[in-house]
Formats: sequence, structure tokens, C-alpha cells
Amino acid sequence: MSTKLLGERIKRKEDPRLIQGRAHYVDDIKLDGMLHMVFARSVYAHARITKVDTTAARALPGVVAVYTGQDIKGKLGLVPCAAGMEGLKIPDHPCLAIDKVCYIGEPIAAVVARDRYVARDAADLIEVNYDPLPAVTDPLKALEKGSNVIHEEFGDNVAFVAKLDAGDWKVVEADSTLKVIKQRFINQRLAPISMETRGVIASYSPGEDTLTVWSSTQIPHILKTQLALMSGVDEARSRVITPEVGGGFGSKLNVYGEEGVACFASKQLGKPVKWIEGRRENMLATIHGRDQVNDLEIYVQPDGKVVGLKCLIVADLGAYHQLLTPAIPTLTALMILGCYNIKHVDVETKGVFTNKMATDAYRGAGRPEATYIIERAMDLVAHELKLDPAEVREKNFPSPKDFPLALPTGVTYDTANYQKTLKRVLKAASYSKLRKEQERLRKKGKYLGIGLSTYVEICAMGPSSRMPAGGWEAGTVRVEVTGKVTVLSGASPHGQGEETTFAQIVAEELGIPFDDVTVYHGDTFQIPMGIGTFGSRTTAVGGTAIYNAAQRIKKKMARIAAHKLGIKPGALQFVDGKIQTADGQKSIGFGEVVAEAIFAKQLPPGIEPGLTEHCVFEPPNYTFPFGAHLAVTEVEAETGEVRLRDYFCVDDCGRILNPMLVDGQVHGGLAQGIGQALWEELVYDENGQLVTGSLMDYALPRAHQFPWFNTSNTETRTPVNPLGAKGVGEAGTIGSTPAVVNSVMDALRPFGVRHIDMPLKPEKLWNAMKGGLKTS
Amino acid sequence: MTLDGTYKISAPRDIVYKQLMNPEVLSRSLPGCEKLTPNPDGSFSAQLKIGIAMMRSTYQGRVEILDAVAPEHFRMLVEGKGSGGFMKGEGTLTLSEDGDDTLIAYKGEAQVGGLIASVGQRMILGAAKQNVTQFFQEFAKQIAAR
Repeated sequence: MSTKLLGERIKRKEDPRLIQGRAHYVDDIKLDGMLHMVFARSVYAHARITKVDTTAARALPGVVAVYTGQDIKGKLGLVPCAAGMEGLKIPDHPCLAIDKVCYIGEPIAAVVARDRYVARDAADLIEVNYDPLPAVTDPLKALEKGSNVIHEEFGDNVAFVAKLDAGDWKVVEADSTLKVIKQRFINQRLAPISMETRGVIASYSPGEDTLTVWSSTQIPHILKTQLALMSGVDEARSRVITPEVGGGFGSKLNVYGEEGVACFASKQLGKPVKWIEGRRENMLATIHGRDQVNDLEIYVQPDGKVVGLKCLIVADLGAYHQLLTPAIPTLTALMILGCYNIKHVDVETKGVFTNKMATDAYRGAGRPEATYIIERAMDLVAHELKLDPAEVREKNFPSPKDFPLALPTGVTYDTANYQKTLKRVLKAASYSKLRKEQERLRKKGKYLGIGLSTYVEICAMGPSSRMPAGGWEAGTVRVEVTGKVTVLSGASPHGQGEETTFAQIVAEELGIPFDDVTVYHGDTFQIPMGIGTFGSRTTAVGGTAIYNAAQRIKKKMARIAAHKLGIKPGALQFVDGKIQTADGQKSIGFGEVVAEAIFAKQLPPGIEPGLTEHCVFEPPNYTFPFGAHLAVTEVEAETGEVRLRDYFCVDDCGRILNPMLVDGQVHGGLAQGIGQALWEELVYDENGQLVTGSLMDYALPRAHQFPWFNTSNTETRTPVNPLGAKGVGEAGTIGSTPAVVNSVMDALRPFGVRHIDMPLKPEKLWNAMKGGLKTS
Repeated sequence: MTLDGTYKISAPRDIVYKQLMNPEVLSRSLPGCEKLTPNPDGSFSAQLKIGIAMMRSTYQGRVEILDAVAPEHFRMLVEGKGSGGFMKGEGTLTLSEDGDDTLIAYKGEAQVGGLIASVGQRMILGAAKQNVTQFFQEFAKQIAAR
């Protein structure tokens, strides 16, 4: 009997400590002599700072230090941007504003005090005088000649322009049989809102000249390098520890100014300094997601075959670049064709500065926007040509035999069967029955909508040649003397459950009990190398590094076992705590071989003592998970309210290592994707004030607003890595938003409605319906 | 945010105008006004304690009367800042005779920023209107008690 772990619904190793409240987050860490930091932030979106008076704050008992932009100038590095794009304009982004503020919530001063409440009170005593400047809040107006310029040194508000042009547009434009469908889509700004806000403790030891930082981050190793560079502490003397992280969704794939200031303050004071972000700060000053305006043109044959796509993507980047800000909208251009091999493509992407918080990676990061554009387009094609939306998609799918498929966008899709997921979801939802029900209900004045989305995403990021600072991942497997196994991963999962998945991989490979494997991550002193968790990469890239390390352990153990058994080293099996020949005739205990490997009494010649293997996996390509989603909605004609009645999805994330974790990822992703379609929106007013700055005003969905999700999977293994896994962290978010919008637009069809921008609030729908029914 | 409206005071226009220029009366009438002291340049320094939504903060600010044409109209600039953010307002008050009474017509623009804008936006217009009404009610009382 072999140890079957992969593909099983194994409960998460992480859960007992999390559910029982015994896990440790940054705020749970208390160090001797620790001081607390609070920031004074800008109340203007755009203004010159004429004075910062910290006298009263410094005088408050309990205050240890107050730092302003002038104090850090030249002593603390700038907030880094890693996007290396040609011609990209990168404005100086100091950790504390020096003489100008460019968005609401920009940190101006930091107060360090003996407790957090004194620090807060002192921050309120800091007097800042502003000379307000006109705020630039609309990305389209920001592009106009004569617009106020945020960063004067650049002359305009354009951070970059990127072009993607393929095919022969002369042919397309000359073809009078083609129908041209145009539409503007607005992909609204969202807040990532992780349950745990950001948090950091920086502890500089003057004697040892070492810097230790505890941060709620997705990228401990990158953060270590950057904080070392910013604070001037030797990188080899710097350490980042990531304790439990209560969610990130991309918002913690970053290096923030507050982290830099914490290091600076600790270095100045020789004491640990803690900063824990408040929820309102989190809404204001943690990166935002999405925020694009997309002008689309689709060129389609009368039979529904799409031959050309043009799109202008205007991406609102906010005031400064965070780590990957300008790179995110380029992913929209890269994935804009979705699962359709459209020959002629012309995409222009413009990144625009506005007086808002920076946008950056939020679950899906550029791909939800791409999927929304192309999947709404497919429905518009169906609508205009009076075809069934499922039929239009099918007509445009490449065949499973076409893979690997090189697209005009420059990426090569690994493997897929789009027909299969679509067919499955139509069957799961009883599509033709639903259409009949829709007809029946319409006659009764009830408006049912059926919306499809067939998506493909780009995951397992990624080949180093395409990534800003390496796309590999590192893994170490170490067998301890007692036969227990320690696994180290450079990916830094923060809720995804890879402590479980990685243990499944190693336990199955080594034929030992699942409970004998413990996975560690998120400490740069323990884990030699790492990139992090984002872009649905941790299992596919990080898991493969561990899988490869386990193969090396097996190879070494097999040599020692063969030596002990007096047989030729060959194909030995690792099963049930034993290493045995294929026929099971000869075997030796796993523990016995471990002892031999470490005590090294009779090792075969040329074998080094010890069982520690470190592996770095460099992926040859991205992976391209895909799926088909179907949303059933009901729209109340009298009120414009939407009820999401049913949700079906068939996702293909390659080989599934733990179906329960895949379901969990899909459920969470759906909640966020549906949230964008129906409720969520960050709103800035014309002065650049954030008017949705609390959870009273920002409509984050709650569980009762969702139906049960009918999830299922197909498994098309990727050849890109030996596990065959593609990644699933962002699938739900990417696939669901257009499915829901398509569904609501389908419901409103009798009213002649073609498109309404998200979020689909009752007010907008009611207004669209009040004109009454239109007979088409 | 635009604020406009009218309020009738049972007193002759000359008196109403004069009292509107009286810092003592003003300070008693302005909701949450803790201090109102004249500056050498003719403006006033003010300390106001105002609550919007769940936030009650103290604002240090300035009140200035401009373009005054007695007893007909004047322009008023108010600005304040505090831990809840900032507020700025500019408005015109026009006084007209209505029999023995005086009709005050006001029209102004107000802007808020910072915390009060990000968490209290939905309440701000309501709160501002309420504060204006409170001001006139209190002002009318002060005149009546003269």
C-alpha cells in the first residue's frame, strides 16, 4: 500500500492554530523596550507643504521622537519601484513627504512614543500648513493638454505608453463585411482589504549592527534587500521575518514607506519600533487595485468569428509608483485576447499619474481587466449579431490540438481545453432549461439573466527573463536525525495553505507520514533564497522546487539503501516508511537509511554525509489556467436590485494537489470578483478626497449576499513543471466579474440595455430600466 | 458642497446686520464655538468643536468678513483645521427688509478634507445644513434677548 496524499482533501496543517487564535501576527510580537509609531498624513490630495510644526507633538509626555521629510532626506532611501519598462517615468517617492503632497493619506511625519495612544495623540498635534494645488483625479482629463501636472519635472502626467501591434490592419479595415463593435468600459478602483492590515516591527541592534524586521508581507526576501538598501544596513546583517499574515491579495507584494521609516527610526533610536496600520489608513494608503478606462473596438465576421481587436487602455496609476504599479496594466494588454486566437491586435496602454494612492497588484492584477474587456466583448458580439453567447465563444476557441499556442500578444499558452470547461458548465447549470425559464419569466415581468465568462489567466510567475527581479523559487528538504522532515520554502504563503500542500508533496514522495513533515517559510535567515507568493505561483513554482529537492533526497537515500542492502542502485520505491525493491522482496527502514546518511559509518564512496537538498526551480514558461463560469441573476424591475441566484464554475488549474484548498481559493476569489461586479468601488471626489474611506462606505460583500457556489474542475496538466499544477489563487476573481456583469446585462436585454459600468448598483439599473421595455 | 437658503429674523435690518458683525453674539451663535477672538487685520481666530458622523474634533480656524456693505450684504470666509481634517467655506449673506423683519439669504460653497471627508461624507451635507440652521436659531435668540 502506497501513501496516497496528492489529490486528496487533506485538512490544513495551518488551521488549528489559526482557528484557536494561537497564531502570531506582527501585532502579537512584543519586544523589550519596544516603541510605537504613528503617522501624520496629508489631508490634501495635492498641495505644497509650507510648514510642519512638530513642537507640540514633541512636548507631549511619552513622545520619544518625531521625524519629518526633512529629517529623512538623504538618510533614508526612496520607496522602490521594480518595474523596468523602457521610457518609464519614475518620480522621487520619499518615505515621508518633503515639500509636496500628492495624495490624501500620504505620510508627512512619524511620531515614535512609548505607547501607541500617546503617539496617535501627538500625531494630531503636528501642525501642517498647506498651499493647496488643483487636484488631478480623472485619468482622462489628466491626459488633456493644459491639465495640471503632478510631477512638474516630467511636463505631463503620462508615466508610460506601451504599444502592442500585430497582424495586418490594412486588410482588416478594408474588409467591408466585418462589423465593428465599439464600447468603453470602466474598471473601477478597488480596495484589497485584507483582514489583517499592514504592520511592521524594525529592530536595529547598534552593537551587532544588525537589522531585524518583522513584517506582514508577501515577499520577505525582496523586502530584506530593499530595506537594507533604503536604511543603509548591510544586507548580510539584515533579516526579515514574516510571521502569520492575515491576507494580502497582492497588497503586501510591496515595499512601503512606513516600513522604511520604521527601520530609520529604530536605527536612530537603537530600539525596536512597531507600526500597525489602522483600517482607515489601510483604505487610504495601502495600494489600490484596477482603475482603468478601456476603449475597445472589435472587428467581427457576420458568423461571429472575431478577427481584430483594438483597445486603448488608460490606467490610473495614482501619484507615485509602488513596487509594480506600472507593470500591472501591461498584463492587461498581454492577456487581452483571452481564450481566443484573434489575429489582428492593436493595443495601446497609457499609464497616467493622478492625485490618488498608487494602484498595484490586487488579486488578478491586470488580468481581471483583460478578462472583463474580452468577455464583455464576446457578449456584445452575441448581442449585436443575435447569436447565443456560448456559441460565439465556441466559434472563437482554438482547438485543444493547437497547444502550445503562440499568440500575437507574445505569450505562448501551454495547454488547454476550453471546449470542455464550457460544455461542463453549461451542463451543470442546465443552460437550455435556464434559457426557457428566462423566456417564461420575462412574460411575467421577471428578469432573469444568464451570464458566461470563459477565461484564461497567466500564472505561475514566471520565467526570470520576463520578471523584474527573478521568477524562480527556492525550496529545501532536510531530513532530520529522527527521520522527521523539515521543508523550507522561499515562497511565502499567507493563507493559501501551502504548509499543507508542500507537506503532501514531500510525504508522498518520501513515503512517510504526512505529520512527519513540517514546512517553514518567511524568515530570510532560515530560508536561503526566495521570491514570494503572488501571481498564483506558490504551488506551481515553489512546490516544484520542493518536489525537485525531494527527488534529490530520494536519489541519495536510494544509493545508501542499495549499498546497505547489497544490491545495485536502481529503481527503489519509497513506501510506508520503507525503501524497497520494486518486487518488495528487499527493503530497509526509512529511519535506518537516515541514520546511516547522517552518522556516516558505512556510506558508499563519494557520498557526503547529511540529507539536506536545496533546489531552485526556474520555470520555462508561465502557466495558463482557464475555466468557464456561469452566473444566474434576477433583477428586480421596481428597485433595480440584483439577486445572484446561482453560480456555477468549472476551473482548470492543471493537476489538483488538494481539492479542498482549490475550492477554498475559488470561493474566496469569487467573493472578490462578484464584489467588483456588484458592490465595491473606491470613490475620490473632485478635490481628491477619498469619500469611501471606511467599511461603512466601501461596500465589501458579506457572506449572506452569495449563493452556494457550484464549483468543479477539469484537470489539464501543464508540461511547464513536473507537478503539472498551474495555479488557482486568482482564478475565481478573474472569471467571475464578467460572468456576473454579462448576466445582469442579459437580464436587462428586454429594456434595450447594452452596457452599464460596474458596480451594478440598484440606482444605475433602475435608471436604465425606467425607460421601459424595448421590443427588438 | 453648496449650501443655500433663507432665514427670517424678527428684527429690523440695521440691528440684524450690526449683530452679525458683533463677535460676542457670533461666538454665542456659532455651533461648537469655544473661542472667537479678533485679530489686528480685522479677521477673527476661532476654535470650534464640531462633530460629524462619529467624529467630534476641535478645529482651529479663522473667520473673515469681506466686501461688507452695511446693512445689505457681506462675504464670509471660514476655514478650520484639526485632527478630523480641514474645512473651508465661503459664502455671501444678503439682508433684505421684510416688513418689520429681516430676511437673510445665504449662499455658499464648502469643502472638507481628511478624515471627515473619508468617513463622514454621506453625513456632511446634512450636518452642515443642521449647523447653519442651529446658527440662525441661536442668533435669533440672541437678538430676541437683547
